[in-house]
Amino acid sequence: MTHDFTVQLRSQQEWSWLVAIDLFLGGLGGGLFLFYELWELPVSIGLLSLGLVVVGGVVLLMELGHPWRAWRAICRPFSSWISRGVIFVLLFVVSSSLYIAPALDLFSWLPWSPLSLGGKVLGVIAGASACLVALYPGFVLSASPSIPSWNSPLLPVLFFSQSLTGASGILLLLSPLGLLNQRLEGISSLAVLLIGANFVLIAFYLMVLKKSGLAAQESVRHLSEGALSLIFKAGVILVGTVVPLLVVVWIPSAVVLAGACVLLGGLLFRYCVLKSGVYVPFAIT
Amino acid sequence: MATIGKAVAGSNGRAPRWGMAIDLKRCTGCQSCTLACKLENGTPPGIFWMRVLEKEEGTYPLAHKVFLPVRCNHCIDPPCVPVCPTGASYKREKDNLVLINQDKCIGCHACIVACPYQVRFMAGDSKGYYGEGLTSYETEAYQKWQPHTVQKCTFCVHRIEKGLEPACVQTCPTGALTFGDLNDPESALCKVVRERLPFQPRAELGTDPSLYYLS
Repeated sequence: MTHDFTVQLRSQQEWSWLVAIDLFLGGLGGGLFLFYELWELPVSIGLLSLGLVVVGGVVLLMELGHPWRAWRAICRPFSSWISRGVIFVLLFVVSSSLYIAPALDLFSWLPWSPLSLGGKVLGVIAGASACLVALYPGFVLSASPSIPSWNSPLLPVLFFSQSLTGASGILLLLSPLGLLNQRLEGISSLAVLLIGANFVLIAFYLMVLKKSGLAAQESVRHLSEGALSLIFKAGVILVGTVVPLLVVVWIPSAVVLAGACVLLGGLLFRYCVLKSGVYVPFAIT
Repeated sequence: MATIGKAVAGSNGRAPRWGMAIDLKRCTGCQSCTLACKLENGTPPGIFWMRVLEKEEGTYPLAHKVFLPVRCNHCIDPPCVPVCPTGASYKREKDNLVLINQDKCIGCHACIVACPYQVRFMAGDSKGYYGEGLTSYETEAYQKWQPHTVQKCTFCVHRIEKGLEPACVQTCPTGALTFGDLNDPESALCKVVRERLPFQPRAELGTDPSLYYLS
């Protein structure tokens, strides 16, 4: 217990892989649904986005100490971003299910369609909630004043951008299945833009942290030369950014590889952000 | 036995604001408060609601240790409360104590990562200090704690309600800890805070801790 009785910089140990997977899947699902609506992609893409958000929620339940009490998590939407997030996810699951359902043979009897007024309203609600599902994880983290690397207004932007990038990655990954209705070229171009924007955002985020206090600088050190450096440099930067950029630009026939790399990089990015969170140490004198 | 007398009911018509002053010049780092807290509250292995941090300063031959007792600060604007999605973490209106309703806690860790003072803890499975079985003391004490819920210092709320000081204050051999009502200008706590030059931990966050360090 010596560790707990000395004044030192301490990384947070509470949130790890399970939370990273939840943030990843939730963001991916939200972003994918936005693309599904924007480009009128096949219904299977909509179902996939719904499935990703649901699986993300199940993973989050596994993280909880008392999952059977999870229903209580909707109780504080006026103060807690987790509470808001749970509501966004529930709203998304319900509205997107209702929006998608008429397109399925099993539910073709439903009295609305994506083109009817009711369907359009559902589409707007589902799209807005998908946007919020992709956005809220950044706010959950940035609400923690104890960890300077999280307590940044850049984090929600970064997480949202990562969600869209991941969604473009999954579309690239699925491109051989012929689901993209001749939109592969546009999606590839968007993926390049998003990956590039992400890279710039990550660099800016780290630069800001580097010029902040001791704990924020320690977070950067974890990523640049500490225990997380291999995952960050090789996983997030090389595999998640450089390789997919090069592949999409120079080897368009291998966009599947680019998609897989983007997804891996996105998951590792969430993990790195979580694990590099360092508490401000006690000022003893 | 030291008592806190009239402040229990609110001495001047206002709800008490229980607080503490810690005299860093008196603290010897003996960890008596740490052990008293353990004994009083029967916290699970590895969890110390109250602990004295230490740090080496200077170089030989002028090296010395400095000590900093840390515990929940029962902030007036506690960052741990708004992040809680269930309302399990709450500030009790009648005495401004920050407490946890274990029945509502889902174990999401949000309050732990939000606390700037690193004084919230997740109780694991109820394993004892001495192997598989629990001692009689542990069997009794651990009944109070639900596994996988968050716990922290309550300022010994069960003692306060009986008019007693927290166990750590009663135990401190050097009198480094002063407990009382910050809303009562006549309390010993207010007097010592007025007379000395206190500082609140991480006051820049605006949490307004009910804990003052006297240096």
